[in-house]
Amino acid sequence: MRILAIDTTASAVSAALVKDGFLEGEFFLNVKTTHSQTLMPIIDNLLKLTNTKLDDIDLFAVDAGPGSFTGVRIGVATVKGLSLPLSKPCAAVSTLEAMAYSMPRVSGIICAVMDARCSQVYNALFRSDDGIIERITEDRALSIEELKNELAYYEEDNIYLIGDGTNIVYDTLVPELPDLILTTNNIRYQHAYGTAVVAERMSDMNKTCTSDELMPIYLRVPQAERELKAKQQSGK
Amino acid sequence: MGEKQFLQKLYSKSERQTEEIAERLAKTLKGTEIIAMFGGLGAGKTAFTRGLARGLGIDDGVSSPTFALVHEYEGKFMVYHFDMYRIGSYDDLYSTGFYDYQDQGVMVIEWSENIEPFLPEKRINIKIERISDSEREITIEGAEKL
Repeated sequence: MRILAIDTTASAVSAALVKDGFLEGEFFLNVKTTHSQTLMPIIDNLLKLTNTKLDDIDLFAVDAGPGSFTGVRIGVATVKGLSLPLSKPCAAVSTLEAMAYSMPRVSGIICAVMDARCSQVYNALFRSDDGIIERITEDRALSIEELKNELAYYEEDNIYLIGDGTNIVYDTLVPELPDLILTTNNIRYQHAYGTAVVAERMSDMNKTCTSDELMPIYLRVPQAERELKAKQQSGK
Repeated sequence: MGEKQFLQKLYSKSERQTEEIAERLAKTLKGTEIIAMFGGLGAGKTAFTRGLARGLGIDDGVSSPTFALVHEYEGKFMVYHFDMYRIGSYDDLYSTGFYDYQDQGVMVIEWSENIEPFLPEKRINIKIERISDSEREITIEGAEKL
């Protein structure tokens, strides 16, 4: 099975071509450009340079959220557009799960974090036993403070931070959780390879969807909502 | 943030002078500032933005983005001009793409009152208060001395 996977959920953009688990090609950029300008040339070049036709793709995978509003919409719209005329299936992958599956083999807790601004993060926790990954929490939005309280519970384990929220979480929490482990720069930011790995698992479990059904996944930020309400009430 | 922000109060006797003050502020910008404006209807927020845009080489076309939510102007820096009048929740704000504009240019935000808890702490606050029909007191917090 050949999978074309893309990620545009944060400042980085990437596309990967994976055939039966083998990474045939990958593009990754992390500069301040607009994904709407870079994504299509990346996909075009990836296919051209690997001698792949769009019709050779069996599954189109995208990190459908959480992530930046515009970024997620660019990724989802692109995959919808590519898959629709070919009637090929799509996989709406959790950005956080894709990160967990792009980790090297470790044993411990994988803490996938994305910066949701206002001291909030999108997060999910996974347990990795020498690369066998098990999900511990759902994808959610929570404050860095709340995340700290949860991570304190896993103090005995190695805790690996991955994702574009790594730096802000590490800087905020390291005084109290000094054993947090930073993933290296080459894997810290989301990569579409992880997206393809999760998509293949979803395909095995019949969890793919049609191009029509593919939708962005947005997470609510409950604490931010509460703060605004409190603020508006006190202001009145 | 905790650190004491530099606060200056300026007096404007006309809309024209409000624009000039904004133009002076524009000259101090580095390109990725977030400028949060506070002040009710008719305070002169759009006049201030017009002056700011002029200071960055954008000469015309500045109007209040009440319906479009955001207008983009290209000058010395990109300027993203937001109007948060109709924005009442974090979800509303998120779905304007607000956070995706951060660090891409200068963000000028009218009706910041509505989203104050979600604004980054590192920002410039502009409060425009009405003294009389034409006079305003403009309080600028977090910018260089004008």
